[in-house]
Amino acid sequence: MAKEEGSFKDMNVGFVMPDVVKGPVQKMQLVMYAGASGDFNPLHTDDDFAKAVGMKDGVIAHGMLIMGFVGQAVTTWVPKKSLRKFGVRFAGMTKPGNTITISGSVTDKRVENGEDIITCSVVAKDETGDVKVTGSFSAALPLKG
Amino acid sequence: MADLSKVGTEFSPIIWEVERGKISELAKAIGDPNPIYQDRRAATGDGYKDTPASPTFLTVPMMWCGKMPEMISSLKINFMMVLHGEEEYEYYREIYPGDVITGTPKVVKMEEKTSKSGSKMDMISLEILYTNQNGEKVAKARSLLVERK
Repeated sequence: MAKEEGSFKDMNVGFVMPDVVKGPVQKMQLVMYAGASGDFNPLHTDDDFAKAVGMKDGVIAHGMLIMGFVGQAVTTWVPKKSLRKFGVRFAGMTKPGNTITISGSVTDKRVENGEDIITCSVVAKDETGDVKVTGSFSAALPLKG
Repeated sequence: MADLSKVGTEFSPIIWEVERGKISELAKAIGDPNPIYQDRRAATGDGYKDTPASPTFLTVPMMWCGKMPEMISSLKINFMMVLHGEEEYEYYREIYPGDVITGTPKVVKMEEKTSKSGSKMDMISLEILYTNQNGEKVAKARSLLVERK
């Protein structure tokens, strides 16, 4: 499937990636993610447990699910096979009902080990602007898209 | 609280055979519609050998291998107080269905930090270098766990 992906030539420092919107997050999705990932911490699937450990509204999303959302966004911006590094810091908890918007922009561009590399910052926020994840990724891009 | 003398500890290796269904299932759970994770023809059309693992797939062997409770308790971390602070991957090669990947979790750093509000936390950094059945490096995963005290 042909996709419009950026080329190294076009992506200069300051280039802003198109936002990707995910959600709203549903409790069923957290159950699916638990089974898929193997993270069965009941904090993410059992409201009674979550309340007992201090989450007054019940379950919260797996941080890695939100990193997965960011990974989806990143691989709409650059081909997955060009990804060299991807890291995030978990800054806030995501609750069922939250809609997550992932934004990114190019912060560096260089040649490294013979590859044309861009580095981008990424941030994921909910509908109120609360930051859930910050991070960055590096990708080796072709000169032509 | 975490036993800071455990820095340098290596745990027994995670050995994991990658299944096509698990690659597909993780992408579906994330809600990622990219067909390269579901359809071999879409993947090969995009330049992959087969349906590749998605960027956060390495959480699957980490969590499904079942070593996390053993690691947490051996480091004397209170499971109820631990948060996932950071996660980072370096990618060297694609991971495909049928690959058998092996990685040895290592504790590379342990330190106590004090937050701006004055509360103390232990920061535990784990690193896992994964290789495939051909002995090729496929990826490195770094995780930062934060234990509130």
